[in-house]
Amino acid sequence: MSVQRHEPPRRRDTAALIVAAGLAVIGGVMLWDSARLADLGGYSGVGPASVPRVVAWGLIGLAAWTAVEGLRGDFPERPAQNPAPVLWIVAGLAVQLMLLHTAGFSIATGILFAFTARAFGKRNLAMTIPIGIVFAFVVWTIFSQLLMLHLPAGPLEQLFFPGG
Amino acid sequence: MGALDFLLQGLATAADPMLLLYALIGVTLGTAVGVLPGIGPALTVALLLPVTYRLDPAGSLIMFAGIYYGGMYGGSTTSILLNTPGESASIITALEGNKMARKGRGGPALATAAIGSFIAGLVATLLLAFLAPTIVKLALVFGPREYFALMVLAFVTVSAAFGDSALRGLTSLFLGLALACVGIDQLTGQARLSFGVPELLDGIEVTTMAVAMFALGEALFIAGQRVQVDDEVTAVKGSVWMNRQDWARSWKPWLRGTVIGFPIGAMPAGGAEIGTFLSYATEKKLTKYPEEFGNGAIEGVAGPEAANNASAAGTLVPLLTLGLPTSATAAIMLAGFQQFGLQPGPLLFATNPTLVWGLIASLLIANAMLLVLNLPLIGLWVRLLTIPKPWLYAGILLFATLGTIGANPSTFELGMLLGFGVLGYVMRLFGYPIAPIVVGLILGPMAEQQLRRALSISQGDWGYLLHSPIAATLLGLAALALIVPLILRARGKGQVLAQLAGDED
Amino acid sequence: MKHLVLVSLFAGAMALPAMADYTIIAPANPGGGWDQTARTMQTVLQEEGISPSVQVQNVPGAGGTIGLAQFASQNKGNPDALIVGGYVMVGAILTNNSPVSLKDVTPIARLTGEYEAIVVPAASPIQDMAGLIEKLKADPGAVSWAGGSAGGTDHIAVGLIAKAAGVDPTKINYIAYSGGGEALAAILGNQVTAGISSLGEFEAQIQAGTLRLLAVSSPERLEGVDAPTLKEAGLDVAVENWRMVAAAPGLSDEQKAKVTADIEKMAKSENWQKQLADKGWMDTWLAGPEFEAQLDKDIESTAAILKDIGLVK
Repeated sequence: MSVQRHEPPRRRDTAALIVAAGLAVIGGVMLWDSARLADLGGYSGVGPASVPRVVAWGLIGLAAWTAVEGLRGDFPERPAQNPAPVLWIVAGLAVQLMLLHTAGFSIATGILFAFTARAFGKRNLAMTIPIGIVFAFVVWTIFSQLLMLHLPAGPLEQLFFPGG
Repeated sequence: MGALDFLLQGLATAADPMLLLYALIGVTLGTAVGVLPGIGPALTVALLLPVTYRLDPAGSLIMFAGIYYGGMYGGSTTSILLNTPGESASIITALEGNKMARKGRGGPALATAAIGSFIAGLVATLLLAFLAPTIVKLALVFGPREYFALMVLAFVTVSAAFGDSALRGLTSLFLGLALACVGIDQLTGQARLSFGVPELLDGIEVTTMAVAMFALGEALFIAGQRVQVDDEVTAVKGSVWMNRQDWARSWKPWLRGTVIGFPIGAMPAGGAEIGTFLSYATEKKLTKYPEEFGNGAIEGVAGPEAANNASAAGTLVPLLTLGLPTSATAAIMLAGFQQFGLQPGPLLFATNPTLVWGLIASLLIANAMLLVLNLPLIGLWVRLLTIPKPWLYAGILLFATLGTIGANPSTFELGMLLGFGVLGYVMRLFGYPIAPIVVGLILGPMAEQQLRRALSISQGDWGYLLHSPIAATLLGLAALALIVPLILRARGKGQVLAQLAGDED
Repeated sequence: MKHLVLVSLFAGAMALPAMADYTIIAPANPGGGWDQTARTMQTVLQEEGISPSVQVQNVPGAGGTIGLAQFASQNKGNPDALIVGGYVMVGAILTNNSPVSLKDVTPIARLTGEYEAIVVPAASPIQDMAGLIEKLKADPGAVSWAGGSAGGTDHIAVGLIAKAAGVDPTKINYIAYSGGGEALAAILGNQVTAGISSLGEFEAQIQAGTLRLLAVSSPERLEGVDAPTLKEAGLDVAVENWRMVAAAPGLSDEQKAKVTADIEKMAKSENWQKQLADKGWMDTWLAGPEFEAQLDKDIESTAAILKDIGLVK
């Protein structure tokens, strides 16, 4: 529920200002992009560039509003965060993305599985990576072999299902 | 033979034990695949359709009906329990459903979703059977201007329901609208905001975005919390089943959801998610417990789930009566019907009554099977939440990425998944609501295209938008929904309204 | 419960053997024409025993150009890889400035095709093609055409019709819909003046008398279709929305011959013919040098008309 704060701390909120700058940049990029579109509005009078322009100005307005709130320190407090677990999950997703087409679904996803588990406190990767790979392989088998969903295969998958 | 005789005959045929088994297999398969985040009903039906080719026509038809309803229903389970909506129509379910699940009320949430889906499916299938030709005439009255007005109404009602901060709600919505501009402009074929990247030409996939924003963003946010709140997720508190109050609060939303979802599903450009948005907004307006909205109100699950399933049956109205596939799922089903020698079109009910009524009977039976399968499973499903967090979230991420990879195994798509996951995390950190960005992405293109089509037809005359009674009424409703809260606020009732609006995250 | 899941998965396993031989890329989302073509090929190739197991993979995006680009770069010299495509791809390659074109794969054969149909709602005062053209000449903006996506077959056909009638193709009031279905709803609902899409999309409505068929885009009159061709109506236009299958680039002549033989066996099978009839698709089989010549001709004429409409600079 909304928190009633009678005495808002009037302190400049740098993070909020960065958000405001980001919104303004997105708005600017949209304006720049829509400037290069040919005006093919045809009979409607509303061309492909019209809606992006409206949205862009909306974003710029919101950026200004955010900046004002940031300067007045009206932004809500953010919960304290541990960066390490977040980075483990992001790393897991990045590894999966890079390995998917070379190592195959099971290995890549097994690593994601293990890294996520580590972020939530299961630190022993020597145990979680094999568990993850076996689990991902079972899932791969069910979906790609029985349900014919196309999932990338790597050396492990080819070992068990040559030609698959 | 009258319609009722045909229906009874169809039901009698379908009551054969072997056919019932096929229905059960179809429902099981449909649910099993549909439950995965990122694999929507279209892909589910496309994947499983070949399985039905092996059976005789009756068996194949009934299994197919089971797959369809199973696939439509499957997404709600993971939305409720894990906050990972698998397709756009279950996003709203996740809003209240997941809050309920976290308070140990996952059982009633799943039950109201299952029973609501059943009731909506039952009523909507019967409406399909007896009123299809009438409904389709009404649906065809909707042209671009009426759709535009409907989108405006959806925007207004939905965005009024998000978050306690107008600034953050609007920012989230506008980010969604900005993302919606990415890709080839449908009306002129020009590439917008794609910066020469071919993968961006088709725009941003709603499912990828929804899975990333909800499932990944959530996992990152919870992983990052310094103080791990242990009592945050309780598997079961009180009964797994719905209590008397749950029933009392659910039955009206089920019926209202059906009434909202069915006609919108029947409209050629309606789309299931619009029905869920409108149903959610309606329930929020009508509820006696507004303070619970945003914190796990059962009406917010019952209504949208019913609307979702009713629109699944609604989609069949233009498909059967006009041969009009109005969604990807419907297009695949059309291919499925053709294998049974069923040519959907205006003459179908007259030329091929046995098959049509067989299909309708199959849908009714599949619908019942869905309930038979899912009610006993609820006790099992809620145990998912007792899995220790490391394994639970590792599993969620595995299946969330599986869905995305299965739908489109490209590195780029996975990169978008990761990028939006991080965006979802940052937005949660700063207290931005998540739903408006997804709503903007879904509604933005629809509203833009319909507006431009309408103006194209009128050759630039904006007055045309108001010259239809339906469009004018819808726009009037939207204006009221926008203005009335402002007047109330000006009269110093702002605090009541802030309560009403609640917050979403 | 577990038991049932197993039974059902087992049923799936029996229906779909594990070994994959051909992999067919459908460069579109499930549900569209290319996806259906690919999945029909999958069924027939397997049932006719031409290939023990066939996988279909959807690589959607940008009128098929994303799938085409991925196919061309990842499968060089792979004789087991196939891609489905069609006339829409020709236009999309041009409008999207795609770096990969149909020259970068090995076209095998044209499989099916559909002709375009021009219709008006039954309540429309327009009775024939001449009436429509008259209105178009008087005020091109007042004639709104509902059809598929911008730059697609439908749009190209309208451009060609306008050009043949002596109307500036940039002046057409074309209203793009995401699919034939949505466009059909707009026509039936009397929202637009005329509609254009493949004949199959309109057939049931024409029979039921809710749409009036003005003309078809075939070069000659179609059997069982009571409407003149565009040529008979005095417009020198013929458009076919064909679908084809292509193999990977860099195949040896033997490999190409083997793929062509497999596809030909499939296309000549009774099973395939039955599938075509069920779906209302025409058999427009064309392979070898004739197909390649036809392809070149289509690419050339499409580039010209897209320029005229203003979609390609």
